[in-house]
Amino acid sequence: MSRFQAQTTVTLDEELADLAGRLGLRESQRADLLRELADLASWVIRQAEAGRRIEARRGRDVETLRSPAVERLRRKREEGVVGRVELTDAEVERLAEILDRGFLPPPALRKALSRLAEAKRRPPRLHWKDTVA
Amino acid sequence: MPLRIEVLGRHHRALLEDFRNQHRSLVDYLRRFALRHAEKDLLARTFLAIEGKVGAERLAGYFTLATASVDRAAVGSIESLDRLPGFPIPAVLLARLAIDERVQGQGLGRYLFEEALGLTLQLAHSGPVAFRLFVTDAIDEAAARFYERFGFSRLTGEFPCRMVLDLKPLLGKR
Repeated sequence: MSRFQAQTTVTLDEELADLAGRLGLRESQRADLLRELADLASWVIRQAEAGRRIEARRGRDVETLRSPAVERLRRKREEGVVGRVELTDAEVERLAEILDRGFLPPPALRKALSRLAEAKRRPPRLHWKDTVA
Repeated sequence: MPLRIEVLGRHHRALLEDFRNQHRSLVDYLRRFALRHAEKDLLARTFLAIEGKVGAERLAGYFTLATASVDRAAVGSIESLDRLPGFPIPAVLLARLAIDERVQGQGLGRYLFEEALGLTLQLAHSGPVAFRLFVTDAIDEAAARFYERFGFSRLTGEFPCRMVLDLKPLLGKR
């Protein structure tokens, strides 16, 4: 192990011990600590992936979470046109149900299809509101 | 001059600056990424709804389409795989659809959705390649309800909510 990694591991151990103390866990409860941290990190990552900014607020004080990893996720989300849509197993089950159940187009879709078939389909006339509440 | 649909190009740059929407990410995408994705990266194409005479044009809304393949994140076997076409499933992704907040509630969202659906069905029906799904990510509950009215189903309960429409039953109906 390189000197750099050794130092990093020591620092990491100290930080983990500090966090365990602050979370009321004993030093022997390393697995519980990692589970708690994984839960927290997973929430943070989910918010960042959804393109949300994470802020801590008290009164007028606002502190924004800044982290290179979170910024990478947010940027990826903002650029967000993806060629690959990945589904979890729960989503795969749901997709199988959807494709299995047969499909009766709802009224709005039937109207949309019939409007698309019209030669003279007209766009709506718009009225611009200068101010929006 | 009535509203018209144009494919986003460099000459539209000035129009993009005045676009307003309550979701910052929809404005940012249009101003920062849409043109690059259309012209440089060839990832997606954006269509603009433009109103007004030349020189006094306003951008009322836009939508972005991209191709996508729907795949599994995991590799283990699950029962429902037998009931699905093989992965990856080819799809068209309605990556963005947004209306300027000053003209919302006047039917433009429905009109642009129909445009996107029409282009997608045209491609799925007579294009050089086949597509099974029309996929979108609804940004909030109002958007999810909007897409549900057109037959989209939710795959998740969270937002952005991934939604799909099976194109297969629609292709015989045109």
